[in-house]
Amino acid sequence: MTLRVFLMILTVAMIMGSAALFIRRILTIYHVMQKARPVNRTDRLGERIKSVLVQVGLHRRMFRISFSGLLHYFIFSGFIILLIDVVETLGEIFFPGFTVGPILAPLVDIWVILVAVGILMALYNRLVIKPERFHGSDEKDAFLILGLIGAIIVGIVIHDSFFPFVAPEVLHVADPVARAHFLGYAVSRLWVVLGWTGPTAASIGYAFGYLLDMGVVFAFLAYLPYSKHLHIFAAVPNIFWRNLEPAGQLVPKPIEDTMAIRTFEDLTWKDVADLYTCTECGRCQAVCPAHAAGQPLSPKMIILQLRDALNDRLADKNPNAEYPDLAGGVIAPEELWACTTCGACQEVCPVFIEHVPKIAGLRSALLEDGIVDPNAQKVLMSWDRQGNSFGQPGRKRPLWAKGIEVPIKDARKEPVDWLWFVGDFASYDPRVQHLTQLIAKMLTQAGVDFGILYESEVNSGNDALRIGEYGLFESLAQKNIDALSKAQYRRIFTTDPHSLNALKNEYPKFGFQAPVMHYTEAFLELIDQGRLVVSPVPIRVTYHDPCYLGRWNGITEAPRQLMARCGVHLVEMPRHGAQSFCCGAGGGRIWMDETGIADRPANQRIREALALPDIQFFTVACPKDVSMFSASVTAMGVEEKVRVVDIAEILAVAIGLQAESSLALMTV
Amino acid sequence: MKIAVLIKDVPDLVEELELTEEGRLAVDDMSFVPSEWDDQALEEALILKEGDAGSTVTAVAIDTGDVDNMLFTALAKGADRGVKLVGDFNREMSNRARAEVLAHYCHTEGFDLILTGVQAIDDLDGQIAGLVAGRLGAAHASVVRDVALGSTSVTCIQEYSGGKMAELRLTVPAVLGIQAAQKTPRYVTVSKVRQMQKSASLEEIEGESSEAPALEIRRLYPPVASSHAEMWGDDVEELADRIVNLLEEKKLLRS
Ligand code: SF4
Ligand code: SF4
Repeated sequence: MTLRVFLMILTVAMIMGSAALFIRRILTIYHVMQKARPVNRTDRLGERIKSVLVQVGLHRRMFRISFSGLLHYFIFSGFIILLIDVVETLGEIFFPGFTVGPILAPLVDIWVILVAVGILMALYNRLVIKPERFHGSDEKDAFLILGLIGAIIVGIVIHDSFFPFVAPEVLHVADPVARAHFLGYAVSRLWVVLGWTGPTAASIGYAFGYLLDMGVVFAFLAYLPYSKHLHIFAAVPNIFWRNLEPAGQLVPKPIEDTMAIRTFEDLTWKDVADLYTCTECGRCQAVCPAHAAGQPLSPKMIILQLRDALNDRLADKNPNAEYPDLAGGVIAPEELWACTTCGACQEVCPVFIEHVPKIAGLRSALLEDGIVDPNAQKVLMSWDRQGNSFGQPGRKRPLWAKGIEVPIKDARKEPVDWLWFVGDFASYDPRVQHLTQLIAKMLTQAGVDFGILYESEVNSGNDALRIGEYGLFESLAQKNIDALSKAQYRRIFTTDPHSLNALKNEYPKFGFQAPVMHYTEAFLELIDQGRLVVSPVPIRVTYHDPCYLGRWNGITEAPRQLMARCGVHLVEMPRHGAQSFCCGAGGGRIWMDETGIADRPANQRIREALALPDIQFFTVACPKDVSMFSASVTAMGVEEKVRVVDIAEILAVAIGLQAESSLALMTV
Repeated sequence: MKIAVLIKDVPDLVEELELTEEGRLAVDDMSFVPSEWDDQALEEALILKEGDAGSTVTAVAIDTGDVDNMLFTALAKGADRGVKLVGDFNREMSNRARAEVLAHYCHTEGFDLILTGVQAIDDLDGQIAGLVAGRLGAAHASVVRDVALGSTSVTCIQEYSGGKMAELRLTVPAVLGIQAAQKTPRYVTVSKVRQMQKSASLEEIEGESSEAPALEIRRLYPPVASSHAEMWGDDVEELADRIVNLLEEKKLLRS
């Protein structure tokens, strides 16, 4: 009886203590979330539940790294099985005679083994494999937690092994599941040999195992919300609250005042939840092009630095304490400006943390304080004054259309079927203009009735927004929307993924609605309608998915199918589709200083392509990519090995508009 | 200190300049941007203000048409007041006439320190600072940078050719023609300017002008090319020979 009373009193004390600590912490975080900006993340219930089932139940994103995915699955499922053990163990003491039955009981033992395997795998991962992605994470905490989990499973086996003796002799009840707990039963044989089966020895042994199990469980509960393992509770709601709006939409609603993030109240409540959900797994860091380039940015550290700063402020009792600015203090300007807004971090994060909106908001704060790269500043001013990033007069925008044989309609003056939003690079960059002309000829060959906005088009504002310049984005958007609203057209067509993203995902908040198609989708349609007749171009290529086409807009199939229709043999790079690796140009990076870049992302990408067997062509579907990768190929001196071609050039050969010799490699 | 910055806008040279049939600049078709040297002067003034809590910065522009946005931009960047001197002024106003109007206003306000751009793309004589100083009877230096405030004086650096520099001290009131600010003029976001337009207002003050002797522009015209480039074709061998010959001819080769 004394054993029961002793354990009951201790258990009640532990439950109350750990629950109090747990609740206090959760309430503190809840208060921060309450004061943060609103955002609607509780709509579309069905979709949300489904995504929780897929991402938690099936560990969809976790399994992208199979070893870690598997070890986590073992440990994660262990937590569910742990519930059976907790119910059983508490039941044994509080309601003598309680049992979970012969089916659930052995499950506990099976999972003890799986969890043990998981822990060993985790140790192997952290001590032997040592993935770079853990760099900067709190590894001590990780080991502590693994140790605690280890203690729990050891405790489980120990109390199960003594229970067959404690049950009849001390508690005076039967233990019908003694053998079902096969691990505990096996160990109990040892006690028989040692003669530790008497009431005193068994009681001591049982109490030890019970406390190792329950004690650590409740200590864990109290400690969790103060550590990265809060994700055990936070992951499910955070995945539930994930963004279901179009991924490419950075700002959901028109902003009245500013998008700058200066305090934690400028974050949305979901942003705050993100901070406490981060598991420090570093998957985002491992895919970040800026990090890979040797720049000081790690998306993981952005989250952790913000979280730590928030924790410091929460722990500080002094209401007048002064804290460093979030942008520029907690997070250095170099980190923030290094981001290409490629979105690889968000795509890979297993708990659906959204890094890019935070980075953009923090950038906006820097910008308001005038902390911005001088070249980027020049570009912002050119957008404001001339409407393009080239600092060229707006009048010169349609100059590429002069001197080609095909007529190009002025969509401001006459109705057209397709309105072509050309974009800055395709219009002004002399390295890209010939492609723009090629597209015009192909549209003409297909008999498409198309036109452009001539000098009424201005930059779409996609990059301005991602630099954090909301006001400029809005004024550019308004100019385009005005021009578009005066034109008559059925659909918008563009070669530029950045413009596509703005028109498709950022303009609707101003009431703009129109079907927008990327040229790869549009030309695929023309081929399938028989309006363009292709003959095969038997070349071996690899294809680079532009971030703003593939990842942010999910257009990964059209370019591949278009190439397949042209008879091209495509060999995929390891990183492709939504997992593509950024060229380094996005988010305004293309105009910023490159100091600190040890290894350009575009060069890394070309090396990735060169590692494939017999690839002669690196195909792209974005005007900026043509510039970026051609520059890399030249800088690396590999012109005779690989050539950067736009898919449009292949199509031009396939439809007989250009000779196949136009695709020859450079000969040195 | 009470600091004023005299600013104006100039044609945006990104656009091609066009002449009317009468040989005047086609002002109506042109777009205007703040003069880049005035931007430097404004930045220098804002830096001085940031380093001295008691200082105020007033941005002053003559209303030659459409200067509001430029003044609101100055406010958004951190200027305390934006003053528009209104009257019968236009963009063809000479520097002498401008200096009269500006000096009149500055006199009534009693600024300690007046900064302006050393020159502008449409006036390469750099006279504004000197003329205003002369009218005010104030100390003056031009083509200067690195201004520092004392209690009743300011110091600045003037650079000479041949790598010499001078550090100058001027007793206030003083007028300086700024060559460059201590750092690149700051960026100001579009929404900040817009907020200023909503929340702040410009002070409109009647500009006093007095007669000033003026120059007359007889003719504006694009430079006449005196000779044309000669194309040498693309034969590498021949090109190399011709380059070598040319270098020898011009005595640019050392043996
Ligand atoms: S968006 Fe891309 S560059 Fe920016 S932090 Fe994420 S992975 Fe890195
Ligand atoms: S943000 Fe996501 S991917 Fe990055 S460390 Fe945290 S949990 Fe992992």
